[in-house]
Amino acid sequence: MRSPDVQEVLLSVEGVSLAFGGVKALTGVSFDVRKGEIRAIIGPNGAGKTSMLNVINGFYHPNQGSITFKGQTRARMRPFEASRGGIARTFQNVALFKGMSALDNIMAGRTLKMRYGLFWQALRFGPAQREEVEHRHRVEEIIDFLEIQAIRKVPVARLPYGLQKRVELGRALAMEPDLLLLDEPMAGMNLEEKEDMSRFIIEVNDHYGTTIALIEHDMGVVMDLSNRVVVLDHGVKIADGTPDQVKRDQAVIDAYLGVAH
Amino acid sequence: MSAGGPLNTFPKLLRRNASQFGSHAAIRHKDLGIWQTWTWAQVLEIVRAYAAGLQRLGLKQGDTIAIVGSNRPKLYWTVMAAQMVRAIPVPVYSDAVADELSYVLGHADVKFVAAQDQEQVDKVLSVQERVPHLQKIIYDEHRGMRDYDHARLVKIDDVIADGRAALAGDSSLAAKLDALIDAGEGADTSIILYTSGTTGASKGVMLSAERCIEAATDTAKFDKLTENDVALAYLPLAWVGDHYLNYAQGIVAGFCMACPEGPQTVEQDLREIGPTFYFAPPRVFETMLTRLMIRMEDAAAVKRSMFHYFLAIARRHGEAILTGKPVPLSGRLLYAIGSLLVYEPLKNVLGLSRVRVAYTAGEAIGPDLFVFFRSIGLNLKQLYGQTEAFLYVTCQPDGEIFADTVGPPAPHVDIRIAESGEVQFKSPGMFVQYFRDEAKTAETLTPDGYVKTGDAGFFDEKTGHLKIIDRAKDVGRLKDGTMFAPKYLENRLKFYPNIKEAVTFGDGRDFVSAMINIDPTAVSNWAERNNVAYGSYQELASHPQVYEMVARDIAEMNASLAQEKVMAGAQVRRFLILHKELDADDGELTRTLKVRRGFVADRYAALLSAFYNGSKEADISTEVTFEDGRKGRMSARLKIHDLPTTQVASGLEKAA
Amino acid sequence: MVLFGQFLEILIGGLLSGVLYSLVALGFVLIFKASGVFNFAQGAMVLLAGLALVRSLDLLVANGFPFWTAIILGLVFAGIIMAVTAWLVERFVLGPLVNQDGLTLFMSTIGATFVLEGASQMIFGSDVYPLRLFPTDAWFLFESSFPGGILVNKLDVWGGLIAGILVAGLAIFFQRTKTGRALRAVADDHAAAQSVGIPISWIWFVVWLVAGLVALVAATVWGTKLGVQFSITFLALKALPVLIIGGFTSIPGAIVGGLIVGAGEKLAEGFLGPHIGGGIEYWFAYVLALAVLLVRPQGLFGERIIERI
Repeated sequence: MRSPDVQEVLLSVEGVSLAFGGVKALTGVSFDVRKGEIRAIIGPNGAGKTSMLNVINGFYHPNQGSITFKGQTRARMRPFEASRGGIARTFQNVALFKGMSALDNIMAGRTLKMRYGLFWQALRFGPAQREEVEHRHRVEEIIDFLEIQAIRKVPVARLPYGLQKRVELGRALAMEPDLLLLDEPMAGMNLEEKEDMSRFIIEVNDHYGTTIALIEHDMGVVMDLSNRVVVLDHGVKIADGTPDQVKRDQAVIDAYLGVAH
Repeated sequence: MSAGGPLNTFPKLLRRNASQFGSHAAIRHKDLGIWQTWTWAQVLEIVRAYAAGLQRLGLKQGDTIAIVGSNRPKLYWTVMAAQMVRAIPVPVYSDAVADELSYVLGHADVKFVAAQDQEQVDKVLSVQERVPHLQKIIYDEHRGMRDYDHARLVKIDDVIADGRAALAGDSSLAAKLDALIDAGEGADTSIILYTSGTTGASKGVMLSAERCIEAATDTAKFDKLTENDVALAYLPLAWVGDHYLNYAQGIVAGFCMACPEGPQTVEQDLREIGPTFYFAPPRVFETMLTRLMIRMEDAAAVKRSMFHYFLAIARRHGEAILTGKPVPLSGRLLYAIGSLLVYEPLKNVLGLSRVRVAYTAGEAIGPDLFVFFRSIGLNLKQLYGQTEAFLYVTCQPDGEIFADTVGPPAPHVDIRIAESGEVQFKSPGMFVQYFRDEAKTAETLTPDGYVKTGDAGFFDEKTGHLKIIDRAKDVGRLKDGTMFAPKYLENRLKFYPNIKEAVTFGDGRDFVSAMINIDPTAVSNWAERNNVAYGSYQELASHPQVYEMVARDIAEMNASLAQEKVMAGAQVRRFLILHKELDADDGELTRTLKVRRGFVADRYAALLSAFYNGSKEADISTEVTFEDGRKGRMSARLKIHDLPTTQVASGLEKAA
Repeated sequence: MVLFGQFLEILIGGLLSGVLYSLVALGFVLIFKASGVFNFAQGAMVLLAGLALVRSLDLLVANGFPFWTAIILGLVFAGIIMAVTAWLVERFVLGPLVNQDGLTLFMSTIGATFVLEGASQMIFGSDVYPLRLFPTDAWFLFESSFPGGILVNKLDVWGGLIAGILVAGLAIFFQRTKTGRALRAVADDHAAAQSVGIPISWIWFVVWLVAGLVALVAATVWGTKLGVQFSITFLALKALPVLIIGGFTSIPGAIVGGLIVGAGEKLAEGFLGPHIGGGIEYWFAYVLALAVLLVRPQGLFGERIIERI
């Protein structure tokens, strides 16, 4: 078990409900994410995990409840505003820019950090050139960190799934986020890839001090990884605590066993 | 250049390079996507600081310091700095498993270890009990090392910075360091290279400074290497080939050694650097060709026919043009067009555009493969060498190139063939002794001072070049007395694109049998094109159509063996395709990827006996080591395939 | 020699008129590259741009503005109209359809076509309006070597020049700017683009604006050639074979495709026409496109479609 140094709350979700037509995806969910921790959101399929992430990220707008991020409470926020505020994310089914190289994908993560306008960029001259070099340097550090030097120039569509996931993580890291949302980072991976990914997640948290909220379907994976775990089932929070507490919680055991029937 | 005297140690040569080629690039390394360059002057400054720093850490003359990692400037500088303080560098293969590592570290009794990164440091720490005199571990990459106990760990950068500060603070220290360099003697042990251990435990080959330099000077002159050349240092740091070709020749000739970004990026780095001097084992050339051919299969019809047309032109005239022999004008013209349209673009794609001299060695190279690269204008040559010779025993001079020889003796090398057929030599670079192993030293050196290579070979009458058949001890006989040279057969099998590795058996048996590894790239590509579905390597390897394909290849070899008097009786009668790739991690291959036949025979004893008791299939279960060091079991039922043998036209003749 | 002279004349004429096809095709490629949408409304946008230009020009000249001032003001006005159109399309058609698939978006552009066609004719009128921006006479070249020389239309040469400048500008925009990279990102994946902080609505506005400006450029040339009239929207149909030949995602492909179609149909008309009957010009491009589809579905310059499942 790892423990965060700071107890400051970075994100708090209060009483969030979300419905699509008559279908309730989330009902009165509240929890918080502390600065510097790895927070897991788990639950059986259809528990509303991805909906929760999409709410935090601004893809969905909650029908009720509020999200407070870095002390600011907001009602409706669009996704690009969330990223501007320092939230980066990855997707369950890998959403990369397929036609671009791994390098360009990660460079795209720097979009928000670039300041100089069209004119200078087009000429590749002056401050824009310096800026490009500076960003490239940051991106190269990420490439080095994720050990993907060999695929820098490869169009991502040609990469195997595990590497695509890694590039996607790289793109999110390039945004230097305060909060990193990972949607099933280990889905569809083999054991070795899972171990690699776990290592990267821990190192990101360690090395860059990034706060991470991750969704996992598989309970085992997150237990060693996270500081605290929220468990959702049918859109309702059923448990919240350290991995050990959650593991012993009867409601959680039932929910997971209940999946099988 | 205060002291005169002979340039008989590497630190002295380094000092010369700094003053003679001071602003020339000495070493390059791609870091964070950018090629960083250090000139000879900069390298000298860094290495002096590093040497001073190492002295302050307690490294003394005669101490051993191990170097574990891949080709990184800081690790090469460790070698230089160790030599500067007259300590002895001992490079270790970066992929050595803990047991191998602990053996070498213990046997060499190292006081220091320079490790590349966390992974290597972990490995060293895991065996530290068995290295009683280990004082410090110094490391290159800081990543992941924050939570380590830093009492015994020092960053290389810090050692250099500490040394630099000390040199700046105390001017007498610099003078002392210079005096130490001047005091270096040619007889100093320059390096200990542990052989990869084809047989038994690895041996520490001690090489003296003057012999290293003498040998490297000879061959650098032979290939006209100068300070304007560039080589890509991508071969294992601990292998004699890298130490000789890149490090020793690099310092002697003053050329630039470029370190790739990482093991996976070598191909791209090769393209970006465009070396002028290049070495690769046949395997690498084979992979290049396979990849080219696959890409051509996918290319448009026009492109493909152009490719084949001009390759035919190249086969006809390429060799003659390369060696400056007369060629008809039309041939010259067509070749020039081919150069423009095909050969140069090909070489460019492979990163070989600027190569002036290329060598291959280690295994026999397929004649087609060899001819292909020469015909498109790559000056590819063969050499034969050994760690004990500090590499070169023979090498092919420009203009005297044959696919099936390894060339005449290298400059100043004296070769003789013993009664037993074994090749023996005396050479400028020959080793002094095995470290702490007098028995083995005595076994390897003849009383009159020749080194036994353990290889069987003969001088070709036509060309005067040496031909190597096999390891002397591996040449055996079938029950009926037919000569059985396993490597000879295996090499011929491996020349087929579908076959990656072959192990043949037959010594003391009734007939020859073979275990085959299919080439996953070529075969999976074939499967894709023919809509053959498979889920794993194992499934692909056991596919009936794959069996048939391999059977056709072997039958073809059998037919051609039938044409050779000596070998006709050694045709392969039965074979099977192994369910897994032979792997160095499982001990089936050496670190230089040579098959360990005896080990394979033991490990797959069940299969071997099935060959000779007539079974149609056999079960096998073996332990495998995964990349992360965990072990598991893998079992399979393998089919054994029978082959008809081709009768020799004039009846079966047997070798004497 | 006569035959060769004739051949050369037809070839040059064909290539230059092909450039004009390319101009229209470019608008399609731009939007397709940047948003993955096949914009059926491109032809309507050319009509709208042309009408806005020619009508404002007429009005300004009638009110006594000097010709060149009128042209500049007219272009500015038409540009503004295209910007407003881009904003409207983004706001009311595409914006609500973020994260929908390509076919849905394609259908929505068909709807937009009818609205644009209707609206532009309602506002600016539905007659044929002559536009005189470029000289329409011809040069006769190489009169010494060929009897009668080779006829080259000045308008076509202007069209070629303008297309060249446009392509260079677009290439720089796409390859070298942050916005260009953002455009490509949006085309690949909406959600991912949003997640890295690319505001999709802004990007789509930019794309449609650029496509609108390209339409305006096309309208100046085509309007001079044919007069601004409703039939200009049929250009969209001629652009289709150009796109199939060149590839939907390639700017150079749009140019080369246009050249092939232009030269091909003129040569076919000139040399095959007398033998198999005239009118080849009207269907030749489609036959050519069909042939390309059979051999190379992604077009000559298109990206090979790689799907990993």
